[in-house]
Amino acid sequence: MTKKVRLVDICYARAGDKGDVSNIGLMAKTKENYELIKRKVTPVKVKEFFGNMVTGDVKIYPLDNLESLQIVMRGGLDGGGMRSLRIDGTGKSNATALLRMEIEVD
Amino acid sequence: MKTVPIGSGSMAWGDVLEPSVDMAKRANVKYICFDWLAEVTMSILYTLKLKNPKGGYPSELPEWMRTLLPIAREKGIKIITNGGGANPEEAAEAVYRVATEAGLSGLKIATVLGDSITERLDELRKKGIKFTNMDTEEEDIDSIKDRITGAYVYTGAEGIMEALKQGADVVIGGRISDNSMYVGPWMYEFGWDYRESYWNKIGAAVTCAHIIECSGACTGIIMCSLWEEVPDPWNIGYPIVEMDENGDAVVTKTPDTGGLVNTWTIKEHLVYESHDPQNYIMPDGIADFTTLHLEDIGKDRVKVTNMSGKPRPDKLKVGIGYLDGWKQELQHWFCWPDALKKAKHAEFIMREWLNRWNVKPERLHVDYMGFNMAHGGLVRVPDPEEVPDLPEVGLRICAKFKTREEALYFRNHHSYWDAPPPGYVFNTTNAPARPSRVIALWPTLVPREEVPTKVMIREVK
Repeated sequence: MTKKVRLVDICYARAGDKGDVSNIGLMAKTKENYELIKRKVTPVKVKEFFGNMVTGDVKIYPLDNLESLQIVMRGGLDGGGMRSLRIDGTGKSNATALLRMEIEVD
Repeated sequence: MKTVPIGSGSMAWGDVLEPSVDMAKRANVKYICFDWLAEVTMSILYTLKLKNPKGGYPSELPEWMRTLLPIAREKGIKIITNGGGANPEEAAEAVYRVATEAGLSGLKIATVLGDSITERLDELRKKGIKFTNMDTEEEDIDSIKDRITGAYVYTGAEGIMEALKQGADVVIGGRISDNSMYVGPWMYEFGWDYRESYWNKIGAAVTCAHIIECSGACTGIIMCSLWEEVPDPWNIGYPIVEMDENGDAVVTKTPDTGGLVNTWTIKEHLVYESHDPQNYIMPDGIADFTTLHLEDIGKDRVKVTNMSGKPRPDKLKVGIGYLDGWKQELQHWFCWPDALKKAKHAEFIMREWLNRWNVKPERLHVDYMGFNMAHGGLVRVPDPEEVPDLPEVGLRICAKFKTREEALYFRNHHSYWDAPPPGYVFNTTNAPARPSRVIALWPTLVPREEVPTKVMIREVK
């Protein structure tokens, strides 16, 4: 059976906003965790995970020096800060939302 | 080696005054920079200016300066702010008045102008500038033309450097980029300019500005990692960067304060709102965050080395605000027994009420507070039968309408759906919110040569 791990156990995360773009800095707690998330946290997986909360494309940029991934999600803020009908229009809680995701450990 | 320490005094309109006063009194800083503007703040301020030609800047600015200026003068600290908002002239006038009242004769107050293109949009479009929306790629700006509330360019450090060259003690601008308020004084102090040999150094300045421009956000106010370990969070010290002439830096904070500075607090802020980390695009340069190295070198001291950058972009970012209808939010709470069943019943009545009275919101959003308000569809709201003993739950409704009248009509009928279930918690502290105006953002670009800045200086008599 494949072993799975939840991101909350191996990462910290912080979200920011610009217009209707939500970004999440996913910071691995250790170097090993970083190698794992770099392989397993993919744009396709993140886009699928957020479902209708993210309407545009997802890009992921690695920062090896900070052992972190920068995840940029277009259309991730229900139209953007002021237009959003969500209580958290700037999507700061998207960061902890992502920490719910499970990835497979080889 | 020359080192120039710059401190951060505020991250946005709504930040607090005490940390910057403490910094001015006790820290070793040469400049303190105050950011007052978030994305749609300029539009809000422009609307205020239309109502009152003397307004249009954060009203706290003069009072903050009344407190800060005498200390800054005594310590030789210069103050830079974009708190001029949509009306830098009047903001500077107000600061001039408080400086005069405080007897600060000889103090030089500079105003940086030129960031507003609200009245120049037609002229610039005639030159062939398209103002394509960066979020949606829409090109048809005519679709919002009659609803525009302001168009402001994120301007760079040139105006600040010019003001400092002319001896300014205080620099007040409008939509000067948060980042440029820090880059400006470093470039001025070290004699850097926009030629090739300075790209990496400006990249370092852009990077360090990004680290501290949100005040306490990098010293423990917002911590996603070590939040339980932040010392004395009721007295967070605001951050300071000691930049040296080689483009290396140490991040620290006001001594003997709460909060903390370590590689985690800095890392957290580097990944905050930075998008493509190899191309952090700011008016004065493009920083690459993937080369830098962070090192803890002592208590609340992090050394940042090997920062790098690329030439500044040809185009500057513009935020065009436009009116986009009205939002009405309602929050209703229900308690045991069958709290969730009652909340769901209220939602059912609300939807039927909309049908019966033919009220048609453009968009409607419903959350169950305590379940999915923050994480939306990632959290399943249970069937009421699964949680009959739930102590309490909230129903949050947010509806969007074209007009304020429609939004108000919806609001004023909420007792149809929140009152019937027994166990509705009547909120006597907060009446339902009033409709709020939606100012949407059309982010776009403009060639930098179309937006020259102008500096004016006045000396307090």
